[in-house]
Amino acid sequence: VTASKGAGQGSRRTLEMESVWGLGGLVLLRDSVEWEGRSLLKALVKKSALCGEQVHILGCEVSEDEFREGFDSSINSRLVYHDLFRDPFNWSQAGEALPGGPLGALRALCRRTEPGPVTIALDSLSWLLLHLPCTTLCQALCALSQQHSPLGGSPPVEPVRVLGLLHMELHGPGPMGALSSLAQTEVTLSGTAGQALAHILCQRPRQHPTHQTQCFSILPDFSLDLQEGPLLESQPHPDPHIPPVEPTTHLTFNLNLSKKEREAKDSLTLPFQFSSEKQQALLRPGPSQATSNIFYEPDVYDDLDQEDPDDDLDV
Amino acid sequence: MAAAATCGTSAGNKGCTAAAAAAAGGKNNVTSFQRKGPRASVPDSGCARLVSIAGTRPSVRNGQLLVSTGLPALDQLLGGGLAVGTVLLIEEDKYNIYSSLLFKYFLAEGVINGHTLLVASAKEDPADILQELPAPLLDDNCKKDFDEDVGNHKTPESNIKMKIAWRYQLLPKMEQPGPVSSSRFGHYYDLSKRMPQELIETSKWHGFFFPEKLSPTLNIEPCSLTHGYIKLLQFIQNVIYEEGFDGSNPQKKQKNILRIGIQNLGSPLWGDDICCTENCDNSHSLTKFLYVLRGLLRTSLSACIITMPTHLIQNKAIIARVTNLSDTVVGLESFIGSERETNPLYKDYHGLIHIRQIPRLNNLIYDVSDVKDLAFKLKRKLFTIEWVQDNYLRQERNIYPPGFSYLLKQKDSAWGEGSLQHSTFLMSFLAKTAAFASRLVRHSEPLEQTDSRSILQAAGPGVWRDGRRQEAPGLLAIPP
Repeated sequence: VTASKGAGQGSRRTLEMESVWGLGGLVLLRDSVEWEGRSLLKALVKKSALCGEQVHILGCEVSEDEFREGFDSSINSRLVYHDLFRDPFNWSQAGEALPGGPLGALRALCRRTEPGPVTIALDSLSWLLLHLPCTTLCQALCALSQQHSPLGGSPPVEPVRVLGLLHMELHGPGPMGALSSLAQTEVTLSGTAGQALAHILCQRPRQHPTHQTQCFSILPDFSLDLQEGPLLESQPHPDPHIPPVEPTTHLTFNLNLSKKEREAKDSLTLPFQFSSEKQQALLRPGPSQATSNIFYEPDVYDDLDQEDPDDDLDV
Repeated sequence: MAAAATCGTSAGNKGCTAAAAAAAGGKNNVTSFQRKGPRASVPDSGCARLVSIAGTRPSVRNGQLLVSTGLPALDQLLGGGLAVGTVLLIEEDKYNIYSSLLFKYFLAEGVINGHTLLVASAKEDPADILQELPAPLLDDNCKKDFDEDVGNHKTPESNIKMKIAWRYQLLPKMEQPGPVSSSRFGHYYDLSKRMPQELIETSKWHGFFFPEKLSPTLNIEPCSLTHGYIKLLQFIQNVIYEEGFDGSNPQKKQKNILRIGIQNLGSPLWGDDICCTENCDNSHSLTKFLYVLRGLLRTSLSACIITMPTHLIQNKAIIARVTNLSDTVVGLESFIGSERETNPLYKDYHGLIHIRQIPRLNNLIYDVSDVKDLAFKLKRKLFTIEWVQDNYLRQERNIYPPGFSYLLKQKDSAWGEGSLQHSTFLMSFLAKTAAFASRLVRHSEPLEQTDSRSILQAAGPGVWRDGRRQEAPGLLAIPP
């Protein structure tokens, strides 16, 4: 029973990963020095290629050979590598470099014509962010991931998936926030004790964002191995270290009254409450009123005016 | 005058005669105080001529012409509505879920009232935005929708009669949604349905989609304003002048309101880098844009809603400037991802709504809401704004004298411990308590024991008529 249950859970996890995967739009892979994300990027690229998609890679940080290393030929045939690594500023003028620099390459990717779903991998966004103004890059990314067919009237375009590798340490909160606001999915890599973790934050348009934490490992042939661990599934808040707030902890009064205490509380007549007995006591000219006196002792420093203040009135 | 004569003779009462004469005079236009113009006979147009525009009404407070934001509860918080010629700035929540709802409410209200729309966005196509407007709830048969959406959250806890903190029963009620006719000011919308297609087709709208207007080949001359802002201002100005929304050119046709909606203003998609760096070169371009926009709005029959990702803006000084340049500022703070999401205090709500600024129009005072702790909730069909009144506070109000729950609540609010406001409040609270106690002493009947100890005891809230202290659970104990 446990085995089948575990298998069920595993498949559900995979399905969730798939649903994240099938959304399209911009997927940010945020890695750090300890947990590099290029292998995850390559794994995702392989997955797309296996699905029969056309994969464009804008390579800035590694050479084409290095990127293609480890893929078999059937996958390599589906990869179109746009090389910005060899000649980023188009100095050689040999004609094989990309015209227009990185921005021109991005815009050329926008104007793709072939039908079918497409995955575009940007390796890496950090390099682009350091070479292009942030606003220009954001605009280009938005145009890339939306791809409203400019001709108009054409059938709806299949979702374009843009994978962007982003090195977290290199950028301040401003560019990170700007890119996050554009992203459909953010995958943040971290790990504990040699086990890589992916925090997946998925923003569907006009829906609640969902958090998910996933254990994974990349096999040598760049296939993604999702593992199930004793893991915090779809936590309400991403940081498990924040203890849940209990607003009743520091109260100075008792909220949990027992039934007896509550009765005692309810039977109490408050001093300002006007009850019928109080009314009776006030209306009855009883002896208690007669015995009450006003004791008044003037203070030494009181400025007492002997004159009648109202003597000018015609009373 | 015949009526007056008969009244006078039959009753023989001078007062009656005078009153009837005045009434008759008013009716027959005998008095010299009469309204000029041919329209005086039309009963509807007694007020200002501007009221004839659908979906507007004059403000009770300052006579400004108001339009609805599309969310009657928000209208109520902003002093009746949004004044024509002003800017409403919505500070977006982190994932831009709820602020886009307010944006769509504003546009949908314009569609229902037949206002002209101007939708500007750098991210979504305005045509797509219009397709996703919520459907209006117009008919009376929508009543059951409200009942199931509104009624089910009523807890029995909410009808607890407040014994001590009776003052809180006098809190103003929030606007409760109910089905309305199409002629009313402010409508309710069903978020689960889309606006009917024929309504959108009949409405008049102008779309500004920035990526379409952006020509990549054009080399932009250096200018003090960002390219996108210049384009947008020119577009708005063209619409205002050509359609005759400015007061200077007399409109030939029926006067109408222009509703302008600008989405994600200040985001990097507009070409503004205030979100990317803290000290950028063109940090003034957003403020300049708002300044020019306000000038355009002030001289035309238009109202504008702007959503802005202020959480992304790096330089906080820019936020302050932007706030000062807008008229009304409303901030949305969703609980998603924050620790308040798991806080049981806020478990009924999806976020907080902050009214950051309300304009002072034509007067020195402004309509500011009495209650600051407002939260919003997104139900299946409706977006509602409510006072934060949870069960803890409700119980606590029942236990403590007025003012004390307020004091307790300040613990998690903005006042720091030991700050000036905090200590001032403490002082005033203690003074009030002392006054309360002394009033008790003065009004109490003669005590059997007349020593000072009983008077001290009388200061406590748990005092019985004969001066004996009644031990009550849950009551505030006076330390010896």
